[in-house]
Amino acid sequence: MRKGFLFLLLVVVANCFSQNKQVLYNMTSVPQSLMLNPGADFKYKFYFGVPLLSGTSFKVGSTGFSMYDLFANDGVDFNQKLRKVVYATNRDDHGALNEQIEIFNGGVKLGDWLEDKGYLSFGLYQEFDFWSYMPKDLAILALDGNRNYIGKSFDLSDLSVKAETVSVLHIGYHKNIADNLIIGARGKIYFSGFNATSTHNSGYILTRNANTTMYEQIVNSNLTLNTSGISKYIDEDYNGDVATDVRKQLLFGSDMGLGFDLGFTYYPKKNTQITASILDVGFVSHSKDVENFTYKGYYKYEGINPGFTGSDDPDGVYGDFQDAVKLDTLYNKYTTWRPIKLNASYKYSYGISSEEDCNCYAGEKKYKNSVGAQFFMMSTPRTPITALTGFYQRNVSDKLQLKATYTLDSYSYTNIGLGMSATLGKFNLYFMGDNLLGYQDVSKAKSLSFQFGFNFIFADSNEPPY
Amino acid sequence: MKKYYLSKIICLLLLVGVHFSCTSDLDFNQVNDLKLEPVYELNFSYFNVPATAFVASDGTNYQWAYDDEEFDVFRDKYINSYLQRADFYFEITNTIARAFSLNIVLLDANNNMLTTIIMDVPAYSGTANTISQTEIFQNARLELLKSTRKMRFMVAMKPGAVLDENSPGNLILRSSATVYMDIQ
Repeated sequence: MRKGFLFLLLVVVANCFSQNKQVLYNMTSVPQSLMLNPGADFKYKFYFGVPLLSGTSFKVGSTGFSMYDLFANDGVDFNQKLRKVVYATNRDDHGALNEQIEIFNGGVKLGDWLEDKGYLSFGLYQEFDFWSYMPKDLAILALDGNRNYIGKSFDLSDLSVKAETVSVLHIGYHKNIADNLIIGARGKIYFSGFNATSTHNSGYILTRNANTTMYEQIVNSNLTLNTSGISKYIDEDYNGDVATDVRKQLLFGSDMGLGFDLGFTYYPKKNTQITASILDVGFVSHSKDVENFTYKGYYKYEGINPGFTGSDDPDGVYGDFQDAVKLDTLYNKYTTWRPIKLNASYKYSYGISSEEDCNCYAGEKKYKNSVGAQFFMMSTPRTPITALTGFYQRNVSDKLQLKATYTLDSYSYTNIGLGMSATLGKFNLYFMGDNLLGYQDVSKAKSLSFQFGFNFIFADSNEPPY
Repeated sequence: MKKYYLSKIICLLLLVGVHFSCTSDLDFNQVNDLKLEPVYELNFSYFNVPATAFVASDGTNYQWAYDDEEFDVFRDKYINSYLQRADFYFEITNTIARAFSLNIVLLDANNNMLTTIIMDVPAYSGTANTISQTEIFQNARLELLKSTRKMRFMVAMKPGAVLDENSPGNLILRSSATVYMDIQ
């Protein structure tokens, strides 16, 4: 029981995310912007990423508490801090972690320099996702018990947690279907390495005053944990090499799924841009190496009640309880949905680059500055989370773009992000991070994220290649 | 010139990252101090016996009634090790015109008597008649409780006027347990 609680705690502590990459979104000098909008205005002859280093992103966040609140080395008893955190949070506070590493990626323009047949992009990335809500009622029940909560119904649906690793093989296409409109789509095949999902829980534990027995006590439990890909590791007889097995399974898990991204970029005027995208509309079907753990049943506990009639329950109440609310292991396949992400942006640009004082260049004029707003929404096991970002983007030169963001979301109201994309010859590198104020003391930050990557980009040109 | 500008900015960003990011002293080993000390309120026992239950078909009175109940919760070794203290709270309401003695005998797996909870209940004489009693199981007595596998409820009627099938009243027991756990 203690182990179980610890696991739950660690899961909650280790968590946080939202997958919002507000700095990278629509930063179209970076190929990875295509992963956030398959219809991004990113033009190239071809590009390829440095294998394993082309795109790495990491995001961790929690609402309601920080690592410092729990683990500060301040001499205060850990249990006291834990209790404070539990009581300061609510059931919708959550922690999340998301990590993505591109294994490879690349893209190529279709058609020759004269005709635009669109742009192809493709790649493989590996993603780890963790999400947990604060299991508040269960935590109170474990920490303090029900003594001070007579009349309260402890909600078992507070337990909502999921973790998964997927590898995603993808191919996308985007094209100018009009001078001022680009649309794009990306198909994805998901390979699930590991999955553990416990998001459809319900039930309650209730103690309230009654007229006959002292209390009316009911346990009504409907808990399910679906897992795939982990059964062999939790098997007592397992004696393989975890590191090797996990590595193998991470890249190409045996469960598969399908999904897609859609997006567009539209220029109502030359200096005004609207974009939107929807990502990861897809599912994974878990059918191999599946184990479902369920704890289901209804039991009304009345106590040890003598009837003085000579007919007794031979099992005793504890046996009755264990028969009524049962822990079972099943082997049913299940389906999980990927978290769907929505992005949208509006951008206004101004200031023609002074480098282009010679207006002999026939292509579009590059603006020096842009300001705008972005909107992000992501589905979660409960209400979707949203974030609103204002940004300023500066093209310092053709080779260097900077972007600064200010984001309001459920993690913080002081989220300032900075990003930089620099091109040296054909080599492009980018670094982005958000919640920069949080870096003053990482342990107190409720959310942190960064992305970086290295790519080779061969620019599109309207001139013949020879 | 441009390149110089670029590297300056990169250096600046790196410097900012390195210099201004720090972390307060954290100690993750504190997890080992985790200690759960929940206190649970539970039903313990309930009965409601009418006066007529003590009247046999031939009109004579049973002087006592008893019932053995299985008590299996301490078969669970985890519960056994977590339990630190248990308080049993009893509330007996008697509206029968006879006095009673209620004994709850704790028996081990071999039916050996471990300890007995004794409650004396006065006869009903027209006014509210509820007695309450708290039994605390701690230390050595707690060990007796943990060995308990069966509880024998014995109701003995004390001398008094004979009851018949029209005798009014009930003997009602309500009781709860306050259970102190220590999980670490």
